[in-house]
Amino acid sequence: MSDTPLLNAENVTVQFGGVIALDRVSAAVARGAIHAVIGPNGAGKSTLLNVVTGLYQPSSGNVSFEGQSLGGMAPHRINRMGIARTFQNTELFGEMTALENVLIGLDRRHACHPLDAALHDGGWRRSEIAARREARQLLSLVGLAEDEGNLAAALPFGKQRRLEIARALATEPKLLLLDEPAAGLRAAEIEVLNRVLLDLRSERGITILVIDHVMALVMAISDRISVLNFGRKIAEGTPAEVRSAPAVIEAYLGEKGAHAFGA
Amino acid sequence: MLARSLFAMVAALAFLAAPHVLAEFHLFQICLIAGTALVVLGLVVVTGFAGQISLAQAAFVALGGYGSAILATRWGFPLWAGIPVVAVAVSVVGFLLGQMTLRVSGHYLALVTMAVTAIVQIALIYSDSITGGAAGMPVPTFEIFGYALSTGGQLYYVIVPVTAALFLAVHNLNRSHYGRALAAIRQSETAAELMGLNVLRYKAAAFGASGFLGAIGGGLLAPLSTYLDPAQFGITHSVYFLAVAVVGGMASPLGALVGSTIFVFLPDFLQGFQSYLGLVFALLLLGFIVLRPNGLASFNLPRALSSALARTGDGR
Amino acid sequence: MLAQLLVSSITAGAVYALVALGFVLIYKGTGVVHFGYGDQVTFGAYLVLIAQALFGLPFWPAVVVALAASVLLGALIYGGLMWPLRRASLLAQIIASLAVGTVLREFVRAYMGPSAWPFPFLLSPAPVAVFGVFVVPANLAIVGVSLGVLALLFLLFERTFYGRAIMAACDNRIGASLIGIQVSMVFLAIWILSSVLATVAGVLVAPLLTLSPDMGLIGIKGFTAAVLGGFNSLPGAVIGGILLGVLEALAGAYVSSALKDMISYGILIAVVLVRPQGLLGVLAMKKV
Repeated sequence: MSDTPLLNAENVTVQFGGVIALDRVSAAVARGAIHAVIGPNGAGKSTLLNVVTGLYQPSSGNVSFEGQSLGGMAPHRINRMGIARTFQNTELFGEMTALENVLIGLDRRHACHPLDAALHDGGWRRSEIAARREARQLLSLVGLAEDEGNLAAALPFGKQRRLEIARALATEPKLLLLDEPAAGLRAAEIEVLNRVLLDLRSERGITILVIDHVMALVMAISDRISVLNFGRKIAEGTPAEVRSAPAVIEAYLGEKGAHAFGA
Repeated sequence: MLARSLFAMVAALAFLAAPHVLAEFHLFQICLIAGTALVVLGLVVVTGFAGQISLAQAAFVALGGYGSAILATRWGFPLWAGIPVVAVAVSVVGFLLGQMTLRVSGHYLALVTMAVTAIVQIALIYSDSITGGAAGMPVPTFEIFGYALSTGGQLYYVIVPVTAALFLAVHNLNRSHYGRALAAIRQSETAAELMGLNVLRYKAAAFGASGFLGAIGGGLLAPLSTYLDPAQFGITHSVYFLAVAVVGGMASPLGALVGSTIFVFLPDFLQGFQSYLGLVFALLLLGFIVLRPNGLASFNLPRALSSALARTGDGR
Repeated sequence: MLAQLLVSSITAGAVYALVALGFVLIYKGTGVVHFGYGDQVTFGAYLVLIAQALFGLPFWPAVVVALAASVLLGALIYGGLMWPLRRASLLAQIIASLAVGTVLREFVRAYMGPSAWPFPFLLSPAPVAVFGVFVVPANLAIVGVSLGVLALLFLLFERTFYGRAIMAACDNRIGASLIGIQVSMVFLAIWILSSVLATVAGVLVAPLLTLSPDMGLIGIKGFTAAVLGGFNSLPGAVIGGILLGVLEALAGAYVSSALKDMISYGILIAVVLVRPQGLLGVLAMKKV
């Protein structure tokens, strides 16, 4: 097992005008790990994901993936390197079916020549069949097999969340970034989600970086947790270490709450 | 498969029979509808599929018409070869224009495309040594395989098959991963980009396609009208093509056909009120965008028809 | 010679500024870009002629009737078009505003004919020599009105509660309505105000440009001025307009007068690509 982290954020600072969203945040995600980032609202967690996926450029600092710097790279190229993400407010393609949503991620690998597509010939037919077969497998993986023909916008919330994951998986990522996947889910659904994520790691070797507030998820499956507050990393360690770190308790409960907790 | 082959046979028969059954005036109108539909198909691709507003279509039409006519007049390049060559060149222009979507979208894109149309029109007027300036220029006769085609009934044999072929190609491409990519980009550029789609390249390609189709349409319509007048290629005309697309429906190629048919037949219905033609067009646009923004082709019958045709080739 | 050029160009610039102010007013007030505004300006001038023809009124009463009619028109545009489309896609809204402009333009073309109409000057069109430079009082009126309207709108938006309410309503409809601002009434007021402004602009500008259905193409110049100055800045609209007028005149004199328009469109494209927020505007940040 190599020692180089899969994803390495070094002193990343993101500044919007006068607002500092991230202040010299460093985090290293080991290959094959499930790494969580938690913190109160507005702590900069989503900003971190946006930097990693190339939607924002850091004002200073660097993010590298498998040793290669991601600075200045367009988001679609970052995705092709092996990083995929889901969104806090699902950004599904609402007017397309669940199957089609997943197909978008698979199309590049099965793409036929434009001439084949214009003629709808054998080459096009073969690529469509292969792509759809793989898409169905992914939908089955997240338990959405019967919903393949339903419009994404018409799916209930929990299923939309799962579709987001299936869609992200379609791009064959090595690193999967999840933005609050458990928000709004019931306890039973969270358990299903936990199992899905653990399976993704053990069976597909996918490294996972998850942002969330829901401790039933974070504490249950994370190997390592980074805690952000006001754009800074204030703690990092195993779930047990983080749970009892004074800085963390103070961030979530405030000073008075921290005292009450005996910190 | 059966439905599709049957449809193709009926269409071929209708195509061959029409010139023997219909009068020259009607054949002329069919050509006009076909040419206009090609231009509007370009809008369907860039605005309906890719979601990018474009008011540059009149510029592409102008470049197609003038380009091929000038090649024929000055360098003896026959129209049947000049039109496709010019269309490819115009598609490059469209592609470059589409690259601008990196920096602009929405209102600003509408403005930029308007400005492009205005610039092309001014350029045409002031290059009078090449283009005849504000007075315009005549279009040479369309010659192919030794035949000179000048009437509607004659140009029919070129315009209709070309239109049918391009419509089929666009229809098929839309029902492939290319169409899926454009639909994804239209619904969420961010998600599409993060799933590995080079959104800029797709948008630029959509603009390139609209340029190609606009130029082919312009090149084919020119010999039909026999004269090119720069006043026909202003921002107003870009809005006209947009109106046709809105009324017909921008979501599918069928919409371009439906819209063009209506707009070409409209003057016939306004017998004595020709001066109100523009107003009627404008009111149609206004009415549809408020009441029925998806256009006529979004009504159930055409959709049921096209999805029946599509199901047979889906690969399911 | 240069001084004369500059003075004359400020007139053209003031025309652009007046049109640009209308655009910016609607954008700042309702968040919509009204692509048909140039045609509304033209329509405003035609309203005067129509009032004269229909009711046999002399000029000034006809202007009053036209202003009253434009109040109605503004309300109609908002109530019949913009309000029903308030939740529609951006594309639909852009097309709708284009449609309004086209309807107005085609209406006057059908009803009043496609050729140009003479339009009376409000002030004297005869040049007057001031410090060795010729100035036209009619043109000065345009400059004066532009500045006056700017001052009025500026006061409205920056200094009055009503103006701030408008800004709030535009920025955050839900929040504004939660604190008791009736957003639809605010928007209605803006559309009516801009419609009246369009007629005022039309009356001032028509004698200068000669009135014809296609005079509305001045709209795109107004746009360029607004973009140049910054689309959400009222002073920017005036500065952009004057600047555009000057740049155009300089280009016309030193490069080519035939290509003067082309240079303006080139400026538009350049500004949009290089510095979309213009001189005084603020760039909006999109949050993901």
